[in-house]
Amino acid sequence: MLSESARMTTAHEASFRIQYPNSKPRAAKVIALDGESAKLVDEIAQQKWNGAKFFTSLSFASGAEPGTTGAGMKAWLSDLAGRAMDLVAEVAESDFVVVITAAGEDARAVSVVADACKLHNKTLIGLVVPKAGASEADVGASLDHLRPHTRMLVVASGRDYIEVMLTALRA
Amino acid sequence: MLRKEQNDYLCQTNAGTPMGEMFRCYWMPALLSEELPEPDCPPVRIKLLGERLLAFRDSEGKLGLIDEFCAHRGVSLWFGRNEECGLRCPYHGWKYDVTGQCVDVPSEPEESGYAKKIKLKSYPLIEKGGVLWTYMGPPEKQPPEPMWEFCTVPLNQSFMTKRLQENNWLQAMEGGIDSSHVSFLHRGDLSNDPLFKGAAGNKYNLGDMRPVFEVVENEGGLLIGARRNAEDDQYYWRITPWVMPCYTGVPPRGDHPIHGHFWVPIDDENCWAWSYDYHPTRPLTESEVAAMKDGKGIHVKYVPGTYRPLANKDNDYLMNRAAQKAGKTFSGIEGIGMQDASLQESMGPICDRTKENLVGTDNGIIMARHRLMRAAKALVEKGITPPGVDPEHHKVRQAALLLKRDVQYKDGAKEALKVKPGVRQTSV
Repeated sequence: MLSESARMTTAHEASFRIQYPNSKPRAAKVIALDGESAKLVDEIAQQKWNGAKFFTSLSFASGAEPGTTGAGMKAWLSDLAGRAMDLVAEVAESDFVVVITAAGEDARAVSVVADACKLHNKTLIGLVVPKAGASEADVGASLDHLRPHTRMLVVASGRDYIEVMLTALRA
Repeated sequence: MLRKEQNDYLCQTNAGTPMGEMFRCYWMPALLSEELPEPDCPPVRIKLLGERLLAFRDSEGKLGLIDEFCAHRGVSLWFGRNEECGLRCPYHGWKYDVTGQCVDVPSEPEESGYAKKIKLKSYPLIEKGGVLWTYMGPPEKQPPEPMWEFCTVPLNQSFMTKRLQENNWLQAMEGGIDSSHVSFLHRGDLSNDPLFKGAAGNKYNLGDMRPVFEVVENEGGLLIGARRNAEDDQYYWRITPWVMPCYTGVPPRGDHPIHGHFWVPIDDENCWAWSYDYHPTRPLTESEVAAMKDGKGIHVKYVPGTYRPLANKDNDYLMNRAAQKAGKTFSGIEGIGMQDASLQESMGPICDRTKENLVGTDNGIIMARHRLMRAAKALVEKGITPPGVDPEHHKVRQAALLLKRDVQYKDGAKEALKVKPGVRQTSV
C-alpha cells in the first residue's frame, strides 16, 4: 500500500491542499533614513500595498538624539502627506520595520528606530541601496551604521529590490 | 510570496522556457564517473531539464550524451549494444556514435549514404573531478570548462554523490541558501554526525539560536552571512555562497571536509541533489570516506542499485518518533540530507509560493529568486550571459570564522572566500 507521504506529495494530491487565506495582512513600516532614500520611498509608496506605511523622514526632539531610549525617546516620522507621526507609536503597531539608506548617506538615525523596535520587540530589516558614484567604502559606512541594529541586512545592487522584498513579505 | 506566474517562471526548466534557456547556458553535473566506468560499459538513461537522454562511453573511452530514442522507430537505445565505437539499436541494428551521428543502417546499402542523413541530438559530456558534466545550450556559446575547486583537487581529496529528490529544483536549492534552518532541523547532527561534530564553531550555532543575517550580491550570485555572538567582542560568521543558478556551499566546520550541493532539474517535479565533499590540502581519510559512503554528513544511504535514498516517501522516510522525542533528531528523520529532502518533498512536487509567508530572515531566498528572474529576463530579451557561467565565478569558497564586531564580513572574510590552491579552508 502506498504510504501517506507518497500519496500526499503527488501533483494530484497537491491540488487538494486546502485553499484559504492563511495569514492576515502584516503591518510593515518603511522608513527612509536619508534624503536620497526618501525619494525612492516616495516613489514606491505610490504603488498598491497590503497596508504598508511609508515614511520619508525622521526628526528628533531637541535632546533626544540617537541613543536615547525608552520613555525619553521622542522622534517623529514624516508620512507622505507631510504629517508628523510619533515613531514609537508607529513601531508599536507594526509587525516589522524596514529602514532604507542609500550607500554613503548618513544613516545614524537607525539607532533611534532600533531603540523603538527593541522597546516593542519588533524585527528591524535594513536595506542599503546603491547611489550614483558611491564607493565600496560608502557601502561599508552604511553597513557600519546599520549592522549593530538590524536582524537582517541586505546590500542590494538595484533599487528595484525594495519593491521586490516588500512584495515577497506581503507588505 | 510569489505570484503564480513568477513561480512558474522560476520552476519551469524545459526547453523554450526562460529558466530552461538559462540553465542551458551552464555546464551541469550529469552523471558520476562511476556510472560509466569503462569503455563499452552499459549505457545509462538520464533525464535533464525535461529531456530524456542516454549516456555512454564508447570502445575508445569517448563519452557521448545523445537523445535516448532511435530515429528509426523511437525505440529506447538503453536496450542497445555498446560495441565497436557506437551504440547499436537492438531492434533493426541502426548504430550511432558519441555525437549522435548514425553510422550504420544495415537495411540500406552503405553506398546510399543514408546513415549520414540521420543524426540524433547530442550534447558534450566531459569528465572532471569524478563527475561527467554536460552543456545543453547552443554549441557556439559553450563556455569554458567548470572550475569548481572540488573538481580541481586530486581525486583522493574529494567525494561526490547524487540522490534523487522528488520535487522541483527551486525548493531544494532554496534549502541550500536558507541557513537559518540549521539550528533547528539539523541540531542533533552537529553533536553526533562524524563529519560535523567536534568543530569549535558548533558551540556558537547551538548557543545562539537567533542568528543575524547579511545578504550581499557578488559577481556569480550571493554571499549570505549568518553571524552569531562570540566571546571577546567578536562575531562567529558562517558565510554561504550561492552561485547561479544552482550551486550552494555549506560553511565548513573545523578541519572536516568542505561540502555543498548542486540542485539540477530532472524535470519540473524532480531534481538531482548533488553532494560534494573535499579538502583543499589533504586526502580524505579512510574514516571520512567510510562515513560518507555510509550516508553520513550530507550524503544518504541508497535503495540498492539506485540513486534513490533508502529513506524515501514510500516508507515515510523511516520516521523515528522515539528519536524525535529523545531529541536525537529534531524531525524524526535520520541524516542531514534526508532531513532536508523529506521536508522539501512534503511541500509538494512544485511548491505553491502564492501561499507562503516569508519573514525578514528569508531575504537570501528573496534575493536569489530576484536575481534568477532578472538574469533569465536579461538572457531572453537581450542575450546577456547570466552570472555563474564564467568559470571565475566558480572560484568562491564557503567560510566560517571569527571577526571583530566592527569588521564587515565581506572585507574580513575577503581572502577566506577565495579559492587558493593548496591553502586550507578558513574554518572554526
